[in-house]
Amino acid sequence: MTTMTRAIAKMLLLPIFIVSVAILVKGYTSVGDGFGAGIIATLGVLLQYTALGSAEAHKLPLVAVAPRLGLIGLIIALSVAFTPLLRGQPIMTHFPPPGASVLHFGTIEILTAVAFDIGVFLLVFGFAVGTIDLIALAHDERIAQQGADSLEQQIKDEDR
Amino acid sequence: MILTPLLIAWVMAVILALLDGRRIWVGWLAIGAMAGVFLTTLRLTIRVIEHGSLEIVAGGWPLGLGITLRADALGTVFALVSSGVLLVALIYEVLAGVHERAMPALTLFLATGLTGLFFTGDAFNFYVFFEITMTASFVLTTYGQREREMRAALIFMVVNLLGSSLFLSAIASLYHLTGTLDMRALTAIAGSLEQNSVTFTSILIFVAFCIKLGLFPFHFWLPPVYRDSWPAVAAILSGAVANVGSYGLLRFGGMILERELQLNGGALIALGAASILYGAVQAVSVRTVGEALAYSAIGQAGYILLALGIGGPVGIGAAILFALINSINKTLLFLTTGLNGWLVGAAFAIGAFSVAGVPPSLGFFGKVALFQIGITAQNTLLLVIIFLGSALSFIYMFQIYQRAHWAVDHPEQPSRRPSRLLVLGVGILIIALGLWPEPLLLLSQRATDLVIGTP
Amino acid sequence: MNVLLALAVAVLFGSGTFLMLKHDLIRVAAGVLMISNATTLFIMTVSLHRGRAPIYPLPEDQPISDPVVQSLALTAIVIGFGLTALLLVIIFRVYGLYGTLSGTAHPKQEESPEEIAALARHQRPLQRSPRRVDAP
Repeated sequence: MTTMTRAIAKMLLLPIFIVSVAILVKGYTSVGDGFGAGIIATLGVLLQYTALGSAEAHKLPLVAVAPRLGLIGLIIALSVAFTPLLRGQPIMTHFPPPGASVLHFGTIEILTAVAFDIGVFLLVFGFAVGTIDLIALAHDERIAQQGADSLEQQIKDEDR
Repeated sequence: MILTPLLIAWVMAVILALLDGRRIWVGWLAIGAMAGVFLTTLRLTIRVIEHGSLEIVAGGWPLGLGITLRADALGTVFALVSSGVLLVALIYEVLAGVHERAMPALTLFLATGLTGLFFTGDAFNFYVFFEITMTASFVLTTYGQREREMRAALIFMVVNLLGSSLFLSAIASLYHLTGTLDMRALTAIAGSLEQNSVTFTSILIFVAFCIKLGLFPFHFWLPPVYRDSWPAVAAILSGAVANVGSYGLLRFGGMILERELQLNGGALIALGAASILYGAVQAVSVRTVGEALAYSAIGQAGYILLALGIGGPVGIGAAILFALINSINKTLLFLTTGLNGWLVGAAFAIGAFSVAGVPPSLGFFGKVALFQIGITAQNTLLLVIIFLGSALSFIYMFQIYQRAHWAVDHPEQPSRRPSRLLVLGVGILIIALGLWPEPLLLLSQRATDLVIGTP
Repeated sequence: MNVLLALAVAVLFGSGTFLMLKHDLIRVAAGVLMISNATTLFIMTVSLHRGRAPIYPLPEDQPISDPVVQSLALTAIVIGFGLTALLLVIIFRVYGLYGTLSGTAHPKQEESPEEIAALARHQRPLQRSPRRVDAP
């Protein structure tokens, strides 16, 4: 990869994350949701893998913690879904209920549905980045193994 | 109350995914969680039998608007048997030593998917839990991670993804025709729709569930997968995941698309008969135990379809009873394939008697119900086919017993005692249920009343 | 307009089926992906109306598009994404074990006694004929 591709790829990571968080947040007044945000964030990390190579991309702080992040996202989503059961309400009843007044943080509304979406975002991001990382590691191991095998073969041929 | 099994299964699955499944205490934690699921499902079953169906709507929305979760007799009896099968298979695997860190978590995710599937009253929610179940079973098939298991997982996955896509298209067309996804509303409306469009939908649903169950023209994925996967995983697949196929045919065919089921009964009977004969004949001439049991599973699925094709109270009752008995039998048979010892041979013989329908084992009542439908339909050919299938299953079961357990040239070391005792325990359970079948018969009778009694 | 969408669904299903019947495993995966996308397009074709976005406050006397179909399609896309990722990982593993991406690679039919002994107990072939009892 040329130097310019690598430099631009490094610069693009943070703006891609910001776009994905924006899509997550604006889903309540226009188009957007947690799943799309997770996919776009994954694409940012995938860009690092293809442009910089897996060894360097693996060193990103997010990639090492990605699978656990995914499970934490699943725990958040499950707790939002199942906590109303403890209060006697059906599953996935959101608080505040539809029609009631909502707390606002600027123009963002504070709802349990937002927490659910963040859980989905973390889940998708963690799962996809974890998978990409595992495949890249396995691929590197395989290439190293093939290199070692062919080296052994060469040494054996020379000995003969 | 309905959601307690689902809650336990899902939360414990996530917690177990964070732990290392190879340690003993994690395995026993998983067994505890699975036992919790089974016991809460049992409590729910008793409650449903005494008080009738329970339902709640997710999110507190009005009925018909939100996703309904309904525990009725049909769903709870299938959920009870499936969680029992998963519990036994998990205990077997933990006793034998788990060698992959994700296996207990995967079994609990499978339990989540199955529990959600049997307790939902919304067609699309059924599809979502169906996919959760299938994903967990795809990954479980790779347990062992050698060439054979990976190949089996690949075949399993490609064929079943196709089946799921067909099912999703069918749900979408049902929504287009009726404007609702709620199962109760669908049951009310589907009888009065124009026939041609509903026929297309019902064919897609039928094919999707037949792929899952492993019926004759759609069975080609089944022998490699059941033969090459680990015994506990094969027991889970044949005892719990195949139940999805029979439950789907009963719920979507017997309740929602009832008119189509009755109109096409002849085709179902023909396919069922073909499946019985094909499975039985193939099972007589195979090389390995796993393959014979796989073809046996194909044959037994044919009986379920035969019973559904005849329909009516007798037919539907026979289908439900036979599906439940078959899953218990197959669990026992697949679990014995991985162990040595004469106790294991005895347990296999009990399972063989149950498949062939010999009293006092549980399979006798399944066969009685099947012969009853032959007599009710007053069709001699059907009786001949059922009898032929039973005779052939007797032959191949005892052929396997003879070659694998009795006349063995090099008898090997018996396996560990707890595993052998577990398998013998399941065999004794089959005989005990055969001597006291009232609970199972009552449950299947209630389920039949539910399926027949809808307007 | 509906005919065009139906034609698109048909072309996608057909191409996906054609690809799934090929030997190369990557083409099989591409076929599976195409079929799941065709199903998603089918979901949207059967029930989507043209109209305003179904977000409160709703405009009066203007048609609103159906939100149920949109959520069905979104869920189908998510499920298809997860399953395709799993399929690709399994294909990668099969490639590692068999060394080839051709779908016709399978275990050798006849195996040596050592290989048979190394198989798990449930995968071992049964003996051809039962032990004969020697005459006294």
